[in-house]
Amino acid sequence: MDNNNQNTSGFVNWVVRAGKLTLLMGLVANFVPCLYLWLAYGVVPSIGEIFAVWGLALAAYGISWLVQPTTYFPVLGMSCSYICWYAGSVADVRLPAAMMAQRASEAEPGTPEGDVMATIGTATSVFLSVAILTLFTFIGSKAIPLLPKFIKDSFTVILPAVFAAVYVQFAQKHLKAGAGTIALGLFFYFIGRKSGVPSGLLTVLVVLTGMLVARVVFAWEKKST
Amino acid sequence: MDVKAVMESPGLWVACSITLIVVILQSALFLRAAWREAIRLGISRQRRLAGVRAAVITAFGPALAPVIILVALITMLGAPTSWMRVNDIGAPRTEIAMVTIASEHLGVEPGSPEYDLRAFSYSHWAMALNDMGWIVVALLLTHRMAGITSSLNKKYDPRLIRYIMDGAGIGLFAYLLSGQLVPATSHKWLAALISGATMLLITKLFAKHPRMQELALGLSMLAGMLGSTALVKLI
Repeated sequence: MDNNNQNTSGFVNWVVRAGKLTLLMGLVANFVPCLYLWLAYGVVPSIGEIFAVWGLALAAYGISWLVQPTTYFPVLGMSCSYICWYAGSVADVRLPAAMMAQRASEAEPGTPEGDVMATIGTATSVFLSVAILTLFTFIGSKAIPLLPKFIKDSFTVILPAVFAAVYVQFAQKHLKAGAGTIALGLFFYFIGRKSGVPSGLLTVLVVLTGMLVARVVFAWEKKST
Repeated sequence: MDVKAVMESPGLWVACSITLIVVILQSALFLRAAWREAIRLGISRQRRLAGVRAAVITAFGPALAPVIILVALITMLGAPTSWMRVNDIGAPRTEIAMVTIASEHLGVEPGSPEYDLRAFSYSHWAMALNDMGWIVVALLLTHRMAGITSSLNKKYDPRLIRYIMDGAGIGLFAYLLSGQLVPATSHKWLAALISGATMLLITKLFAKHPRMQELALGLSMLAGMLGSTALVKLI
Protein backbone atom coordinates (compact mmCIF):
# COMPACT_ATOMS: atom_id res chain seq x y z
CA MET A 1 0.00 0.00 0.00
CA ASP A 2 2.68 2.48 1.03
CA ASN A 3 4.80 1.44 -1.92
CA ASN A 4 1.91 2.03 -4.25
CA ASN A 5 1.33 5.46 -2.79
CA GLN A 6 4.93 6.41 -3.34
CA ASN A 7 4.92 5.07 -6.88
CA THR A 8 1.93 7.12 -7.86
CA SER A 9 2.75 10.28 -5.93
CA GLY A 10 4.09 11.94 -9.12
CA PHE A 11 0.75 11.49 -10.83
CA VAL A 12 -1.19 12.47 -7.69
CA ASN A 13 0.81 15.68 -7.31
CA TRP A 14 0.24 16.49 -10.97
CA VAL A 15 -3.51 15.93 -10.54
CA VAL A 16 -3.72 18.38 -7.62
CA ARG A 17 -1.80 21.09 -9.48
CA ALA A 18 -3.59 20.61 -12.80
CA GLY A 19 -6.94 20.26 -11.05
CA LYS A 20 -6.58 23.52 -9.16
CA LEU A 21 -5.26 25.38 -12.18
CA THR A 22 -8.04 24.23 -14.53
CA LEU A 23 -10.73 24.95 -11.92
CA LEU A 24 -9.35 28.48 -11.47
CA MET A 25 -9.45 28.98 -15.23
CA GLY A 26 -12.99 27.61 -15.21
CA LEU A 27 -13.98 30.01 -12.47
CA VAL A 28 -12.86 32.96 -14.61
CA ALA A 29 -14.47 31.56 -17.79
CA ASN A 30 -17.71 31.14 -15.85
CA PHE A 31 -18.06 34.93 -15.54
CA VAL A 32 -16.91 35.96 -19.04
CA PRO A 33 -20.45 36.26 -20.51
CA CYS A 34 -21.48 38.45 -17.53
CA LEU A 35 -18.53 40.71 -18.15
CA TYR A 36 -19.21 40.73 -21.88
CA LEU A 37 -22.79 41.92 -21.36
CA TRP A 38 -21.41 44.64 -19.10
CA LEU A 39 -18.63 45.83 -21.40
CA ALA A 40 -20.46 45.51 -24.70
CA TYR A 41 -23.95 46.66 -23.65
CA GLY A 42 -23.40 48.39 -20.33
CA VAL A 43 -25.88 46.18 -18.45
CA VAL A 44 -24.76 44.87 -15.09
CA PRO A 45 -26.44 44.45 -11.70
CA SER A 46 -25.11 46.70 -8.93
CA ILE A 47 -22.79 45.13 -6.33
CA GLY A 48 -25.68 44.98 -3.88
CA GLU A 49 -27.85 43.25 -6.47
CA ILE A 50 -25.09 40.76 -7.27
CA PHE A 51 -24.95 39.86 -3.59
CA ALA A 52 -28.73 39.59 -3.48
CA VAL A 53 -28.71 37.16 -6.45
CA TRP A 54 -25.87 35.21 -4.84
CA GLY A 55 -27.97 34.99 -1.68
CA LEU A 56 -30.86 33.54 -3.69
CA ALA A 57 -28.51 30.96 -5.24
CA LEU A 58 -27.08 30.15 -1.82
CA ALA A 59 -30.54 29.59 -0.41
CA ALA A 60 -31.59 27.37 -3.32
CA TYR A 61 -28.40 25.37 -3.91
CA GLY A 62 -25.89 26.18 -1.14
CA ILE A 63 -26.33 22.79 0.48
CA SER A 64 -25.77 21.03 -2.85
CA TRP A 65 -22.52 23.00 -3.40
CA LEU A 66 -21.13 21.49 -0.22
CA VAL A 67 -22.88 18.12 -0.06
CA GLN A 68 -22.35 16.90 -3.62
CA PRO A 69 -18.56 17.24 -3.95
CA THR A 70 -18.05 15.71 -0.48
CA THR A 71 -20.52 12.81 -0.70
CA TYR A 72 -19.43 11.84 -4.23
CA PHE A 73 -15.74 11.94 -3.32
CA PRO A 74 -15.43 8.34 -2.03
CA VAL A 75 -16.78 7.09 -5.36
CA LEU A 76 -15.05 9.57 -7.70
CA GLY A 77 -11.61 9.90 -6.17
CA MET A 78 -9.46 12.93 -6.70
CA SER A 79 -8.79 13.32 -10.41
CA CYS A 80 -12.38 12.54 -11.41
CA SER A 81 -13.62 15.04 -8.83
CA TYR A 82 -11.64 17.84 -10.49
CA ILE A 83 -13.20 17.03 -13.87
CA CYS A 84 -16.71 16.38 -12.57
CA TRP A 85 -17.27 19.56 -10.59
CA TYR A 86 -16.46 21.61 -13.63
CA ALA A 87 -17.90 19.58 -16.51
CA GLY A 88 -21.06 18.53 -14.65
CA SER A 89 -23.51 15.67 -15.40
CA VAL A 90 -21.78 13.75 -12.60
CA ALA A 91 -24.33 11.14 -11.51
CA ASP A 92 -25.87 10.40 -14.89
CA VAL A 93 -22.86 10.51 -17.26
CA ARG A 94 -19.40 10.80 -15.62
CA LEU A 95 -19.79 8.26 -12.84
CA PRO A 96 -21.33 5.48 -14.95
CA ALA A 97 -18.62 6.04 -17.59
CA ALA A 98 -15.85 5.92 -14.97
CA MET A 99 -17.23 2.75 -13.39
CA MET A 100 -17.65 0.91 -16.67
CA ALA A 101 -14.16 1.94 -17.81
CA GLN A 102 -12.81 0.32 -14.63
CA ARG A 103 -14.90 -2.77 -15.09
CA ALA A 104 -14.10 -3.28 -18.79
CA SER A 105 -10.37 -2.90 -18.09
CA GLU A 106 -10.62 -5.11 -14.98
CA ALA A 107 -9.09 -2.39 -12.79
CA GLU A 108 -10.02 -2.54 -9.12
CA PRO A 109 -11.76 0.63 -7.81
CA GLY A 110 -9.81 2.45 -5.12
CA THR A 111 -6.40 1.31 -6.43
CA PRO A 112 -4.01 3.45 -8.53
CA GLU A 113 -5.03 1.33 -11.56
CA GLY A 114 -8.69 1.95 -10.82
CA ASP A 115 -8.12 5.67 -10.45
CA VAL A 116 -6.37 6.11 -13.80
CA MET A 117 -8.97 4.04 -15.64
CA ALA A 118 -11.77 6.05 -13.99
CA THR A 119 -10.01 9.24 -15.12
CA ILE A 120 -9.72 7.91 -18.68
CA GLY A 121 -13.43 7.00 -18.63
CA THR A 122 -14.50 10.35 -17.19
CA ALA A 123 -12.44 12.45 -19.61
CA THR A 124 -13.65 10.37 -22.56
CA SER A 125 -17.27 10.95 -21.51
CA VAL A 126 -16.65 14.72 -21.44
CA PHE A 127 -15.54 14.70 -25.10
CA LEU A 128 -18.61 12.67 -26.01
CA SER A 129 -20.98 14.98 -24.09
CA VAL A 130 -19.51 18.12 -25.63
CA ALA A 131 -19.70 16.64 -29.13
CA ILE A 132 -23.33 15.54 -28.76
CA LEU A 133 -24.54 18.73 -27.08
CA THR A 134 -22.70 20.95 -29.58
CA LEU A 135 -24.26 19.04 -32.47
CA PHE A 136 -27.73 19.39 -30.97
CA THR A 137 -27.24 23.08 -30.20
CA PHE A 138 -27.08 23.58 -33.95
CA ILE A 139 -29.55 21.00 -35.25
CA GLY A 140 -31.60 20.24 -32.12
CA SER A 141 -34.61 22.42 -32.70
CA LYS A 142 -35.02 20.88 -36.14
CA ALA A 143 -34.21 17.24 -35.28
CA ILE A 144 -36.07 16.64 -32.00
CA PRO A 145 -39.63 16.96 -33.36
CA LEU A 146 -38.78 14.35 -36.01
CA LEU A 147 -38.08 11.59 -33.46
CA PRO A 148 -40.80 8.93 -33.15
CA LYS A 149 -43.04 9.37 -30.10
CA PHE A 150 -42.02 5.97 -28.71
CA ILE A 151 -38.37 7.10 -28.52
CA LYS A 152 -39.29 10.45 -26.97
CA ASP A 153 -41.42 8.63 -24.37
CA SER A 154 -38.62 6.24 -23.51
CA PHE A 155 -36.27 9.19 -22.96
CA THR A 156 -38.45 10.33 -20.06
CA VAL A 157 -37.33 7.29 -18.03
CA ILE A 158 -33.62 7.42 -18.82
CA LEU A 159 -32.72 8.50 -15.27
CA PRO A 160 -34.37 5.62 -13.36
CA ALA A 161 -32.87 3.22 -15.94
CA VAL A 162 -29.32 4.61 -15.50
CA PHE A 163 -29.50 4.87 -11.72
CA ALA A 164 -30.93 1.35 -11.30
CA ALA A 165 -28.21 -0.21 -13.48
CA VAL A 166 -25.45 1.68 -11.66
CA TYR A 167 -27.02 0.72 -8.35
CA VAL A 168 -26.99 -2.97 -9.23
CA GLN A 169 -23.39 -2.61 -10.40
CA PHE A 170 -22.43 -1.20 -6.99
CA ALA A 171 -24.61 -3.46 -4.91
CA GLN A 172 -23.82 -6.84 -6.43
CA LYS A 173 -20.48 -6.88 -4.64
CA HIS A 174 -22.36 -6.34 -1.37
CA LEU A 175 -25.79 -7.86 -1.88
CA LYS A 176 -26.93 -7.59 1.73
CA ALA A 177 -25.84 -3.98 2.11
CA GLY A 178 -27.38 -3.18 -1.27
CA ALA A 179 -30.80 -4.61 -0.47
CA GLY A 180 -30.89 -2.98 2.96
CA THR A 181 -29.82 0.44 1.72
CA ILE A 182 -32.33 0.79 -1.13
CA ALA A 183 -35.17 -0.21 1.20
CA LEU A 184 -34.08 2.40 3.75
CA GLY A 185 -33.43 4.94 0.97
CA LEU A 186 -36.96 4.61 -0.42
CA PHE A 187 -38.37 4.81 3.09
CA PHE A 188 -36.39 7.96 3.98
CA TYR A 189 -37.25 9.56 0.66
CA PHE A 190 -40.94 8.84 1.13
CA ILE A 191 -40.95 10.23 4.68
CA GLY A 192 -38.66 13.15 3.69
CA ARG A 193 -40.96 14.24 0.86
CA LYS A 194 -44.02 14.05 3.11
CA SER A 195 -42.43 16.12 5.86
CA GLY A 196 -40.54 18.53 3.59
CA VAL A 197 -36.96 17.67 4.67
CA PRO A 198 -34.53 19.64 2.42
CA SER A 199 -33.02 17.42 -0.28
CA GLY A 200 -29.43 18.19 0.76
CA LEU A 201 -30.10 16.82 4.21
CA LEU A 202 -31.78 13.78 2.69
CA THR A 203 -28.69 13.11 0.54
CA VAL A 204 -26.45 13.12 3.58
CA LEU A 205 -28.86 10.91 5.50
CA VAL A 206 -29.10 8.22 2.82
CA VAL A 207 -25.34 8.25 2.07
CA LEU A 208 -24.58 7.89 5.79
CA THR A 209 -27.12 5.06 5.96
CA GLY A 210 -25.26 3.29 3.14
CA MET A 211 -21.93 3.69 4.97
CA LEU A 212 -23.41 2.52 8.24
CA VAL A 213 -25.06 -0.53 6.65
CA ALA A 214 -21.71 -1.40 4.99
CA ARG A 215 -19.98 -1.06 8.39
CA VAL A 216 -22.48 -3.44 10.00
CA VAL A 217 -22.27 -5.97 7.16
CA PHE A 218 -18.46 -5.85 7.32
CA ALA A 219 -18.47 -6.66 11.05
CA TRP A 220 -21.01 -9.40 10.46
CA GLU A 221 -19.08 -11.05 7.61
CA LYS A 222 -15.83 -10.82 9.53
CA LYS A 223 -17.45 -12.66 12.41
CA SER A 224 -18.87 -15.41 10.24
CA THR A 225 -15.58 -16.15 8.40
CA MET B 1 -31.44 47.05 -27.88
CA ASP B 2 -33.35 43.90 -28.79
CA VAL B 3 -32.56 41.17 -26.28
CA LYS B 4 -33.09 38.39 -28.85
CA ALA B 5 -30.36 39.89 -31.03
CA VAL B 6 -27.97 40.05 -28.06
CA MET B 7 -28.79 36.44 -27.14
CA GLU B 8 -27.58 35.26 -30.56
CA SER B 9 -24.80 37.83 -31.08
CA PRO B 10 -21.36 36.70 -32.31
CA GLY B 11 -19.74 38.44 -29.30
CA LEU B 12 -21.75 36.30 -26.91
CA TRP B 13 -20.79 33.16 -28.85
CA VAL B 14 -17.14 34.05 -28.27
CA ALA B 15 -17.71 34.86 -24.57
CA CYS B 16 -19.53 31.58 -24.00
CA SER B 17 -17.01 29.50 -25.91
CA ILE B 18 -14.29 30.25 -23.32
CA THR B 19 -15.97 27.81 -20.90
CA LEU B 20 -16.14 25.13 -23.58
CA ILE B 21 -12.45 25.62 -24.30
CA VAL B 22 -11.56 25.15 -20.62
CA VAL B 23 -13.83 22.07 -20.33
CA ILE B 24 -12.12 20.44 -23.32
CA LEU B 25 -8.64 21.54 -22.28
CA GLN B 26 -9.10 20.09 -18.79
CA SER B 27 -10.29 16.71 -20.03
CA ALA B 28 -7.54 16.59 -22.67
CA LEU B 29 -4.85 17.27 -20.05
CA PHE B 30 -6.26 14.69 -17.63
CA LEU B 31 -6.74 12.09 -20.36
CA ARG B 32 -3.16 12.47 -21.55
CA ALA B 33 -1.72 12.29 -18.02
CA ALA B 34 -3.90 9.30 -17.05
CA TRP B 35 -3.01 7.51 -20.28
CA ARG B 36 0.71 7.89 -19.55
CA GLU B 37 0.22 6.86 -15.94
CA ALA B 38 -1.74 3.78 -17.09
CA ILE B 39 1.18 2.80 -19.31
CA ARG B 40 3.58 3.29 -16.40
CA LEU B 41 1.40 1.10 -14.19
CA GLY B 42 1.57 -1.62 -16.82
CA ILE B 43 -2.06 -1.53 -17.97
CA SER B 44 -1.99 -3.03 -21.47
CA ARG B 45 -3.15 -1.09 -24.52
CA GLN B 46 -5.96 -3.60 -24.95
CA ARG B 47 -7.29 -2.89 -21.43
CA ARG B 48 -6.95 0.89 -21.86
CA LEU B 49 -8.91 0.79 -25.10
CA ALA B 50 -11.53 -1.46 -23.52
CA GLY B 51 -11.98 1.24 -20.89
CA VAL B 52 -12.39 3.98 -23.50
CA ARG B 53 -14.91 1.90 -25.46
CA ALA B 54 -16.90 1.11 -22.31
CA ALA B 55 -16.99 4.82 -21.36
CA VAL B 56 -18.24 5.82 -24.82
CA ILE B 57 -20.92 3.12 -24.95
CA THR B 58 -22.05 3.86 -21.39
CA ALA B 59 -22.08 7.64 -21.68
CA PHE B 60 -23.80 7.78 -25.07
CA GLY B 61 -27.40 7.44 -23.88
CA PRO B 62 -27.16 9.66 -20.78
CA ALA B 63 -25.18 12.29 -22.74
CA LEU B 64 -27.98 12.38 -25.29
CA ALA B 65 -30.67 12.77 -22.61
CA PRO B 66 -30.33 16.56 -22.03
CA VAL B 67 -30.93 17.44 -25.73
CA ILE B 68 -34.66 17.84 -25.21
CA ILE B 69 -34.25 20.29 -22.33
CA LEU B 70 -31.42 21.94 -24.34
CA VAL B 71 -33.93 22.86 -27.03
CA ALA B 72 -36.23 24.38 -24.40
CA LEU B 73 -33.28 26.32 -22.98
CA ILE B 74 -32.35 27.67 -26.44
CA THR B 75 -35.83 29.16 -26.98
CA MET B 76 -35.52 30.85 -23.58
CA LEU B 77 -31.88 32.06 -23.49
CA GLY B 78 -30.57 31.74 -27.05
CA ALA B 79 -28.08 29.24 -28.46
CA PRO B 80 -24.67 30.40 -27.11
CA THR B 81 -25.79 30.69 -23.48
CA SER B 82 -27.60 27.33 -23.57
CA TRP B 83 -24.64 25.65 -25.27
CA MET B 84 -22.29 26.90 -22.54
CA ARG B 85 -24.55 26.05 -19.62
CA VAL B 86 -25.43 22.48 -20.61
CA ASN B 87 -21.72 21.73 -20.95
CA ASP B 88 -20.65 22.86 -17.49
CA ILE B 89 -21.62 22.14 -13.89
CA GLY B 90 -25.24 22.78 -12.96
CA ALA B 91 -27.85 20.49 -14.54
CA PRO B 92 -30.02 22.14 -17.23
CA ARG B 93 -33.01 22.11 -14.84
CA THR B 94 -30.83 23.90 -12.25
CA GLU B 95 -29.92 26.59 -14.79
CA ILE B 96 -33.60 27.06 -15.65
CA ALA B 97 -34.40 27.33 -11.95
CA MET B 98 -31.73 30.01 -11.43
CA VAL B 99 -32.91 31.99 -14.48
CA THR B 100 -36.44 31.86 -13.11
CA ILE B 101 -35.33 32.88 -9.60
CA ALA B 102 -33.29 35.83 -10.91
CA SER B 103 -36.07 37.00 -13.23
CA GLU B 104 -38.69 36.74 -10.48
CA HIS B 105 -36.38 38.85 -8.35
CA LEU B 106 -36.87 41.54 -11.03
CA GLY B 107 -40.58 40.78 -11.30
CA VAL B 108 -40.21 39.43 -14.85
CA GLU B 109 -41.14 36.06 -16.29
CA PRO B 110 -38.51 34.29 -18.46
CA GLY B 111 -39.61 34.00 -22.07
CA SER B 112 -42.21 36.76 -21.71
CA PRO B 113 -42.04 40.04 -23.70
CA GLU B 114 -40.95 41.81 -20.49
CA TYR B 115 -37.81 39.66 -20.36
CA ASP B 116 -35.31 42.34 -21.40
CA LEU B 117 -31.55 42.80 -21.54
CA ARG B 118 -31.43 43.60 -17.84
CA ALA B 119 -33.22 40.34 -16.98
CA PHE B 120 -30.87 38.48 -19.34
CA SER B 121 -27.87 40.00 -17.55
CA TYR B 122 -29.34 39.02 -14.16
CA SER B 123 -29.92 35.50 -15.49
CA HIS B 124 -26.27 35.22 -16.53
CA TRP B 125 -25.08 36.44 -13.14
CA ALA B 126 -27.43 34.03 -11.37
CA MET B 127 -26.14 31.01 -13.31
CA ALA B 128 -22.51 32.06 -12.92
CA LEU B 129 -22.82 32.70 -9.16
CA ASN B 130 -24.61 29.38 -8.67
CA ASP B 131 -22.11 27.32 -10.70
CA MET B 132 -19.31 29.08 -8.84
CA GLY B 133 -20.48 27.27 -5.66
CA TRP B 134 -19.51 23.80 -6.89
CA ILE B 135 -16.27 24.99 -8.50
CA VAL B 136 -15.09 26.77 -5.34
CA VAL B 137 -15.97 23.86 -3.05
CA ALA B 138 -14.15 21.42 -5.35
CA LEU B 139 -11.19 23.80 -5.53
CA LEU B 140 -10.93 24.10 -1.75
CA LEU B 141 -11.82 20.59 -0.59
CA THR B 142 -10.80 17.97 -3.19
CA HIS B 143 -7.12 17.63 -2.25
CA ARG B 144 -7.99 17.77 1.45
CA MET B 145 -10.46 14.91 1.14
CA ALA B 146 -7.82 12.80 -0.59
CA GLY B 147 -5.58 13.38 2.44
CA ILE B 148 -8.36 12.28 4.78
CA THR B 149 -8.91 9.04 2.83
CA SER B 150 -5.25 8.06 2.84
CA SER B 151 -4.82 8.79 6.55
CA LEU B 152 -7.92 6.67 7.29
CA ASN B 153 -6.35 3.83 5.30
CA LYS B 154 -3.28 3.99 7.53
CA LYS B 155 -5.29 4.13 10.73
CA TYR B 156 -7.87 1.42 10.03
CA ASP B 157 -8.14 -1.84 8.10
CA PRO B 158 -8.08 -0.66 4.43
CA ARG B 159 -10.64 -3.39 3.68
CA LEU B 160 -13.05 -1.76 6.09
CA ILE B 161 -12.44 1.67 4.53
CA ARG B 162 -13.08 0.20 1.06
CA TYR B 163 -16.31 -1.35 2.36
CA ILE B 164 -17.48 1.93 3.83
CA MET B 165 -16.57 3.82 0.65
CA ASP B 166 -18.56 1.27 -1.36
CA GLY B 167 -21.35 1.86 1.16
CA ALA B 168 -21.20 5.59 0.37
CA GLY B 169 -21.60 4.76 -3.34
CA ILE B 170 -24.52 2.44 -2.62
CA GLY B 171 -26.11 5.09 -0.42
CA LEU B 172 -25.60 7.81 -3.05
CA PHE B 173 -27.27 5.80 -5.80
CA ALA B 174 -29.97 4.59 -3.41
CA TYR B 175 -30.74 8.28 -2.91
CA LEU B 176 -30.68 9.12 -6.63
CA LEU B 177 -32.78 6.08 -7.51
CA SER B 178 -35.29 6.76 -4.72
CA GLY B 179 -35.70 10.29 -6.09
CA GLN B 180 -36.87 8.74 -9.37
CA LEU B 181 -39.17 6.18 -7.74
CA VAL B 182 -40.94 8.44 -5.22
CA PRO B 183 -43.62 9.53 -6.07
CA ALA B 184 -44.21 6.28 -7.92
CA THR B 185 -45.16 5.91 -11.58
CA SER B 186 -45.35 2.49 -13.20
CA HIS B 187 -43.26 3.68 -16.18
CA LYS B 188 -40.32 4.67 -13.96
CA TRP B 189 -40.53 1.60 -11.70
CA LEU B 190 -40.64 -0.71 -14.74
CA ALA B 191 -37.66 1.09 -16.29
CA ALA B 192 -35.67 0.72 -13.07
CA LEU B 193 -36.62 -2.93 -12.54
CA ILE B 194 -35.92 -4.03 -16.12
CA SER B 195 -32.65 -2.09 -16.27
CA GLY B 196 -31.45 -3.40 -12.89
CA ALA B 197 -32.43 -6.97 -13.73
CA THR B 198 -30.65 -6.79 -17.11
CA MET B 199 -27.51 -5.53 -15.39
CA LEU B 200 -27.64 -8.40 -12.91
CA LEU B 201 -28.18 -10.95 -15.69
CA ILE B 202 -25.32 -9.64 -17.83
CA THR B 203 -23.01 -9.64 -14.84
CA LYS B 204 -23.87 -13.19 -13.81
CA LEU B 205 -24.24 -14.85 -17.24
CA PHE B 206 -21.39 -13.13 -19.06
CA ALA B 207 -18.91 -12.72 -16.23
CA LYS B 208 -16.16 -14.15 -18.46
CA HIS B 209 -16.92 -12.00 -21.52
CA PRO B 210 -15.12 -8.65 -21.24
CA ARG B 211 -16.81 -7.35 -24.43
CA MET B 212 -20.22 -7.91 -22.84
CA GLN B 213 -19.08 -6.01 -19.74
CA GLU B 214 -18.29 -2.98 -21.92
CA LEU B 215 -21.86 -3.04 -23.19
CA ALA B 216 -23.47 -3.90 -19.84
CA LEU B 217 -24.70 -0.49 -18.75
CA GLY B 218 -25.67 0.72 -22.20
CA LEU B 219 -27.70 -2.44 -22.86
CA SER B 220 -29.35 -2.40 -19.41
CA MET B 221 -30.41 1.18 -19.90
CA LEU B 222 -31.83 0.56 -23.37
CA ALA B 223 -33.68 -2.53 -22.13
CA GLY B 224 -35.15 -0.53 -19.25
CA MET B 225 -36.15 2.48 -21.38
CA LEU B 226 -37.61 0.61 -24.34
CA GLY B 227 -39.01 -2.33 -22.38
CA SER B 228 -40.86 -0.16 -19.88
CA THR B 229 -42.24 2.13 -22.60
CA ALA B 230 -43.52 -0.88 -24.56
CA LEU B 231 -45.09 -2.40 -21.44
CA VAL B 232 -46.77 0.86 -20.45
CA LYS B 233 -48.27 1.11 -23.95
CA LEU B 234 -49.55 -2.47 -23.78
CA ILE B 235 -51.17 -2.15 -20.35
